[in-house]
Formats: sequence, C-alpha cells, structure tokens
Amino acid sequence: MATTTVFDKTEWDTLHKNGPFPLKKLYITRLEGKANMPSTIDRYNDVALEIQRLLKESRDKNEGFRAFGSRWSMSNIAHQKDSVHQNNLMNLDLNIFPEYVHPQSSFEAENLYFFECGNTIKEISQKLEEHGKSLKTTGASNGQTIVGCISTGVHGSALDVGSVQDYVVGINLIIGPNPEDNVYLERHTKPGLTNDFAKKINAKVIRNDGLFNAALVGLGSFGFVHGVLLEAENLFLLKRYVRKIDKKIALDLAKTMDFKNSTFKIEEEVDAEGKPLRPYHYKVFMNPYNNENEYVVEVIYKKPFKTPYPDPFTKIQKSIYRDLIYLFIKISETFPNSIPWFIKQLKNTILPAVNEETIGTLYETFWDAAYQGPAFACSVGVDSKDSVKALEVLTEMTKNEGPIPGIFAMRFVKQSEATLAFTKFPITCMLEIDGVLWKKTKKMMGLEEYGKRIIEVLQQNNIPFTLHWGKNADWGFPGLAEYMYSEKVKVWKEYRSSLLSKEMAKVFSNDFLDILKLSDFEENAPEDLIASID
Amino acid sequence: MKSIFTFSANNLCALLLFLVLTSCYSVRIVSTKGAPMPPDEMTRDDWYRDKMVVEIDTVIKAGVLTDDLSLRVLREGCETGKLFSVEYKNTFGGSLLYLVTFGNKRKVKLQYVCMKPEN
Repeated sequence: MATTTVFDKTEWDTLHKNGPFPLKKLYITRLEGKANMPSTIDRYNDVALEIQRLLKESRDKNEGFRAFGSRWSMSNIAHQKDSVHQNNLMNLDLNIFPEYVHPQSSFEAENLYFFECGNTIKEISQKLEEHGKSLKTTGASNGQTIVGCISTGVHGSALDVGSVQDYVVGINLIIGPNPEDNVYLERHTKPGLTNDFAKKINAKVIRNDGLFNAALVGLGSFGFVHGVLLEAENLFLLKRYVRKIDKKIALDLAKTMDFKNSTFKIEEEVDAEGKPLRPYHYKVFMNPYNNENEYVVEVIYKKPFKTPYPDPFTKIQKSIYRDLIYLFIKISETFPNSIPWFIKQLKNTILPAVNEETIGTLYETFWDAAYQGPAFACSVGVDSKDSVKALEVLTEMTKNEGPIPGIFAMRFVKQSEATLAFTKFPITCMLEIDGVLWKKTKKMMGLEEYGKRIIEVLQQNNIPFTLHWGKNADWGFPGLAEYMYSEKVKVWKEYRSSLLSKEMAKVFSNDFLDILKLSDFEENAPEDLIASID
Repeated sequence: MKSIFTFSANNLCALLLFLVLTSCYSVRIVSTKGAPMPPDEMTRDDWYRDKMVVEIDTVIKAGVLTDDLSLRVLREGCETGKLFSVEYKNTFGGSLLYLVTFGNKRKVKLQYVCMKPEN
C-alpha cells in the first residue's frame, strides 16, 4: 500500500525562494515497494487510491489540496494554504503495448509512452533514450516534473514544435474520492489508447477536444493529474551555435522568423542553394543597460542521431561565490545605478560563451540548471511580429524606471491548442527578464511594481500579450485573465465546472486562481459539454 | 623599527589569511545520468537546495600504518545506494591535523547525494 508522510508546517517556499507562503500540511506519498507489489499497473492503481483518500480528507475538512512537483514555478501557482502534495516520488512509467493503441490512432505505437506525474524531464529523457526516443522539446533545463511543466506551459525555444504540453496525447485525472472520479482524457479527433487501457488504470474515458484542451494547461486545478500519455520521437542530435550578430539582423529574425532570406548565415547550416536553414531553436540575449550594436544569439539545428559525437558535457564547471552575488544585490538596493556595472561584470556567468559550438541530444543540451540563489523571472508572451516593439517599450521602461538586476532574452514557441496556453500566437515570442531577487527600497522599485508596470506599458502600447503562468507578475492586476484570453476564460471555467463537482472545484482552487478569478464555478455550463465524443 | 614591525605583522596576517583561504576549497563530482533524490523539505540555500544530501563531518582515527579509508554508503538518506554526486571539502585545519598527528587522525568532510529510486 502506498504511504503518505504528513509534515505539519507553517510555511512553504519555491525552489527560487519567491515566498514564503503560509501552509498547514505538506504530504509526500511513496509508492508501494516493488518487492511487495511487482506489477507496475498495480502500484499505479494502488497509489491512485491513496491520493483519493487524501482528497476525501481535504474535501471533508472543507480545505484545499494542491499537487506540486519540483517547486520550479516562481509564481504562487503551486501553493495552497491548507495542504500541498509533493509528487516527485510518484515516478512510474507504464508500458504501452501495441494492443493498447486505439484503432483510429494516428500515432505510431512505438512513440507512445505513459508517465506518472512525478517523473522529471531528466528521468523521462533517460527512460526514452533506452528506447532510442526523445522528447520533442523541453524547457531550458530538466528538473521540472512532467505534470508541473504541462500544467504551467513550460517551453523551450523550439519555434516549429511548441511547448511541453503540445506533445501530450492523454491525461489521467483524479477528480475526487469516489471510484468514478478517475478519468482518462484524450482529444476525440486524436485518440491515442483504447478503452481497455483506461480500464486497466480504473479510469473512465472521455474523448472530447474542448475538455482536453482546457485541462491541458490546467494550472493544477482540473484535478490531480496522475499520469500522462506522451508522443515521443526518434532520438535526435542538436547542433548548437552561439554567435554575436548585428542587433538589427537579430531583431529582424525575431520579427519575421524568415531565416531563409536573412543575411545571418552559419556556413555549415545552409540548403542546396546556399540559403540559411531554418533552425530548431532561436534565442536572443540582451543586456538592457548597454547600447552595443550586437546581440548574443543561440541557434540550434536538428540533426539525425548518430554516434560517435563528442561528449557535450564540459569536464569542469566553476561557480562564483553566491555571497558575492548577495553582496552585489545589497549594494544595488542602496545604489541602483551600480546595476549596469554589476551586470557587465557578471556577463561571463550570465551569457553563453560567444562562438561556443556543441552537439548533443536534447537531454544533453538542456541539462541541469543548478540552484544559484533567490531568483526572479518575468516572462511575457507576444506575437513574434510584435517582439521588437515589446522589447523596445519594456527596455525603455526598465531603464527609465529601474534599473532592476536582470537581463532580457527572447525565445520563440509555436502556437499551442491548450485553451489557456500563453503560447497563443502563431509563433509566440517569450520575452523574458531574468535575474537575482531583490528587495524594494526607497531608491529601487519592487518586483511587484515592476510586474505591474510591464502590464501597463504593454497595454498602453496596444501590444496583445500573455504572461507565463509559472513566473513572476502582478497576478492581481484587474481583469488580467480576460484581457489576455478574452472569451476563452469563460470556456475554460465552464469545462472545469462541468468536470468537477462544486466542492471538488473548491478543493483544487488556490490563491493564484482566486486572484485571477479563474476559480469561479460556472453553474450553468451546458450539460453535454464534457460528453465523450466517440 | 616600528614600521618594519608593522610591515611584518601585516605580512604575517596576510600569509595566514592566504593559507587559511587557499587550503579551504571543495570539489564535487556529479553524475551526468540518473536523477538526484529530492529532499522532503527545502531548507538549504546552496547547490543542495533541491537534493537530499548526506553530510559526513568527522575525524577518523586511522593509525599511522593505514593507507586509505573507505566509507560505505548507508541506507539512511540513500535508499538506492547509488551515488549522484560526492563533494569533498579540504580544510586548513584538516590538513594541519593530519600533519601534526602523522596521519593518525584524518578529518573527513564529505557531502553526497544519492540517486532517486527509478521505480
């Protein structure tokens, strides 16, 4: 029998120390050991019952319950003041045999893999590699759990691929304590597995595009996401180049995504006519406090997997004294004008080395990002066509009203089908401001105020935008969710209210949802909204 | 004379500081495969914040004829028994202890993280 350890707590924090937030109870559930229960499916079903027991407790006490993975989110999306559940020891993977694949499935059976919620990107990548497979994309690192990534919309800069949620085929949700509260969701237009598979995990199948897309980036509030079916692909290599290029060329690419007709060319990466190839990944780094004519860009091209290739890991990695960074921040809080100088000094630590070239798998390219002290990140999604304008207005605001201890970067992601995906534009430019967490002083604006100004400046300049759910922002800004997603907010709430009972919707809510007014229960949602369409 | 004395005292302080600082460093070896065991609670504020770490900080009485020492990875804090990372810290005091006891007493300062169970 799976067991849960309960810790009485007074507070809880994120990995990057963006809290602390008040908390009563922390749960950590461990699976039954293999020696006692050799069948993986039995262990999966056994732990599902344990989660239902915890959900019943929370419901009966009229309290909230929220699952989290690796605490990578910097917003309070993973926090719930009553109880939180640490999922990362629930890391089973279920075999998908060809007979489980739905007859109308368009997916190759060999590419479908089912993972339990607490598997990290790192663990999944290694498990897939044993089968000669790879994830299609990840974030810039690998420590997040798969369900943490999906629920918050984690992305890389794979401009023609999308975010992590975009290769999810099926979702197993536990939506309450009763036997019928175990559901398996798929898109009706893209079925993946048979009803017999769902029976094996004691779940009721609902194939419904609208419900699936709403639950996909579910912000942790469509139930307890117990497992997900992913579509993998054959293992591939990524050839990575770091270059310093003319600012205008870098920004033209950001705006047009027209690599073929750009003057930026890497000699090894051209087509038969000598025209530049379209990369798998494009990222631009910008220091807002200098007026250099060149930007550092990271460009990555996808290659077939073949061995041998040089070991992509550097043998020695040095890190600077963390106390030195804390000292910089303390000085900056008193003398904000010193920030540009500090950023210049830390340039080699923050930015990749120019002219660096590596080759490796996705797992090897986006590897561990070690904890480096309290950090903040603000991340705005805009249409890539608006990227240059958004960069201009936000840089100006940062310089004029800041400075703040961070640098800018742009990544580019293909549109997602998820209802509340912040990658909602044909190609979304994620304009990111990352740095070291600081405290508001008389001379320096606070992070909350900075987050508010980001929203105001984009609104004043009529630039449609979204915000990364897992990053810092002024989430209490009036009408924010509707401004970003308009009628889709109502659609999302209707699906949530149709799937969950009113009392369980409350269990799966938290302050983050409340402040965005996403936790409202829609009493009059159409009855057949979540019917399975077979 | 006074200025020479001051100069020498400053130099001595600088030398001592130099010795203390340069003989206190750590080196960590990290696996590129596997995943680290997560902690129950995130209380640390360093590289180990998101890892369950086992610390060994002790003086081992070795005997002057002892060449090397082996430490076993025990079950507590390491249910898989497989290592993800090991950090060895060298301190000025540890080196001094080894020298003055002719290797009889050895300061061991280690931190290791084990692999997360694969299930």
